[in-house]
Amino acid sequence: MLLARVEGNIVGTRKHPSLEGWRLVVCQPIGMTGEPEGAPQVAIDSHGAATHQEVIISSDGMAARLAVGDERSPVRWLVVGIVDEHEPGKRI
Amino acid sequence: MKLGTVIGRVTLSKSVDSLEGGTFLIVIPFSRAQFAAGLDKSAVMGTDPSLVIYDNLGADVRQIVSYEEGREAAQPFEQPTPIDAISIVLVDEMFYRPWQG
Repeated sequence: MLLARVEGNIVGTRKHPSLEGWRLVVCQPIGMTGEPEGAPQVAIDSHGAATHQEVIISSDGMAARLAVGDERSPVRWLVVGIVDEHEPGKRI
Repeated sequence: MKLGTVIGRVTLSKSVDSLEGGTFLIVIPFSRAQFAAGLDKSAVMGTDPSLVIYDNLGADVRQIVSYEEGREAAQPFEQPTPIDAISIVLVDEMFYRPWQG
């Protein structure tokens, strides 16, 4: 799982059918002080995470497949939850 | 999932049976700078190496695709298939606002 910040979302008509209706958010992995680490990841989101909110994303493919309800889905990253605060670090 | 720009195609004369019908694309992964530049900006090679992904959505050269890497890439196939990257969304639009701190 990675601590990340939501920085946007993507839209595409042509996609794997299992992603129909799902929000795809661009998540930038961050360090404890909030600095970006590496390239952004795109994850499916059922929590309605807003832009610049901190989230935790997980690479558990099986959990993602259960979430979309398709055993044949290639989806891997999903937003697990929205972060209220973390220590050390200021409340956001 | 990661985003990448399709820069080329690979053709195989012989392949594993289950891969027939799809194409193989050469993709440059999006760096953070490329996200900020937007979808229309031409692809620049970043620090991550380019890779080959399997595609059955019909992506073309210069298009932006979202691809999944790892074991999950072989999940759509009925039988065990030796791929570790697959395109899953052809990206039409992206809304991106980097955090300024």
